[in-house]
Amino acid sequence: MPLLELRGLTKRYGGILAVDQVTMSVEPGEVRAVIGPNGAGKTSLFHLITGVVKATEGDVLFDGQRVTAMPAFGRCQLGMSRTFQITALFPEMSARENTSLAAQARDKQRWRPLGGGSVFAEAQRRGDAALERLGLTHVADRPAGLLSHGDQRLLEVAMALAQQPRLLLMDEPTQGLSVEETAQAVDVLAGLFASSDLTVLLVEHDMEVVFRLARKITVLHRGAVIADGDPEAVKADATVQSAYLGGYV
Amino acid sequence: MRMTIAVAVLLALLPLGLPPYAMTLLTEALIMALFAMSLDLMVGYARLISFGHAAAYGLGAYTCGNILLHTDIPLPFAVLMAGVFSGVVAIGVAWVCTLATGVSFSMLTLAFGQLLYAVAFKWTSVTGASDGLAGIPRTKGPFGTAFFGTKTGFYYLTMACLFGSFLFARAVVRSPFGAVLRGIRENEAKTLSLGYNTRLYKIAVVAMSYMLGGLAGALYAPFAGFANTELLFWLLSGQVLIMVIVGGTGTLVGPILGAVFFLLVQQQLSTYTDSWALVFGAIFILFVLFVPDGIMGLARRRRAH
Repeated sequence: MPLLELRGLTKRYGGILAVDQVTMSVEPGEVRAVIGPNGAGKTSLFHLITGVVKATEGDVLFDGQRVTAMPAFGRCQLGMSRTFQITALFPEMSARENTSLAAQARDKQRWRPLGGGSVFAEAQRRGDAALERLGLTHVADRPAGLLSHGDQRLLEVAMALAQQPRLLLMDEPTQGLSVEETAQAVDVLAGLFASSDLTVLLVEHDMEVVFRLARKITVLHRGAVIADGDPEAVKADATVQSAYLGGYV
Repeated sequence: MRMTIAVAVLLALLPLGLPPYAMTLLTEALIMALFAMSLDLMVGYARLISFGHAAAYGLGAYTCGNILLHTDIPLPFAVLMAGVFSGVVAIGVAWVCTLATGVSFSMLTLAFGQLLYAVAFKWTSVTGASDGLAGIPRTKGPFGTAFFGTKTGFYYLTMACLFGSFLFARAVVRSPFGAVLRGIRENEAKTLSLGYNTRLYKIAVVAMSYMLGGLAGALYAPFAGFANTELLFWLLSGQVLIMVIVGGTGTLVGPILGAVFFLLVQQQLSTYTDSWALVFGAIFILFVLFVPDGIMGLARRRRAH
């Protein structure tokens, strides 16, 4: 059974069709990228999956459960963790406090208003493990807002990992990074994906990044899926090439 | 903790040496301190800026006043009950106010405050309308003791409420719940996306804030012996917000100092001029411009030197 399944997912903003009858799935252990030119509906699709906006039509299924009407925090509690296109951190907290707060969200006693030393200890243990996996241990005590841009992007991934997600959703993980920083971040992410059985869905428009990270690719154009498959097959697809060349009408 | 105990011991010893009028002033200062600290819970830790915190104070005062006027419930219990009542009402208020964020949230808190103010003017049988509730007694007990009705006893009751509330609030902001509040303060969208139902956290902290604010109001009613609509007026909401900012938000101790400072300035200046508020306004402006982190910020910087 696919971990994530979209069935005829559609989002209309007034007269604009942002996402058009998208049907796709993500299998457990798969690293899949959704690609497409600017305005293809990638971010809208991402919002529909994470629950930031509600679908006009169609369904989102997570592990067989219909979550179409579930709010964002509820989907997160089921095991979806996400990163944002524009880095979203707690800038005044240290990197360690960032990952710890992320991990705490998975604790049944996350809301405990008194005491809670054991909650903090467990959250910090998970958070520190995530920091280590992304090579951020040496900046753990620095305020997140003072980290380099590349480290901030990775810290966001560490926060998602600290939640031990079943599905990791990444919105343009290299957005805003320099060529050098992008190469470094891609190295770290590729290593992370290779050394784990994480299920990942990422949205990205940088083709180099996509072909290095993803094992499966879904191509969106004007809100609709125009191709789906292995990177090599997608690369060779004529419709995809014309869409990227701008000739697809 | 050592500091807390030292201050508690000092305050506990003060009644031995202070003249009665100073005891009255000190008791009022502690009540205001509790009120300001309660507001800091939501303003300083969750960046939920309330322009209507007088609602909590007035609710506590009128509730406690009615309990004392119409029942024989011992004074300390009446005070606690009024605080809890204020917190329960806050759940409804917060449920509505948290539909909005930022300035709109603040405006809704102001609207609720003024709504209660208007209700207090009309609901004569409960609030005494513009006359207010007069002759609020300090009931006996528990166990028939009249101690809490005496000047010194009432001072100790106020002190106990302030320290109990302080320890409670400090435990809350240091708990997992408090960590989530910090997350909401710094980036609410991110906190939500981590899987926290941020609205429930906000409603909870507003309820706690109102509960402690209501406790302060509940102490004020038997302290002054009356409760009137001024306790619900936006002017008081503004003053307490100023105390919090001057003292230093997000510190709990700062707003306590801010309240004491405010009352001292008021006390000293009002003997010379009716326009003391003008002077305090100037002090407030100077703080916002030059010491945005308040008295606590000043203290911290001195320590750093």
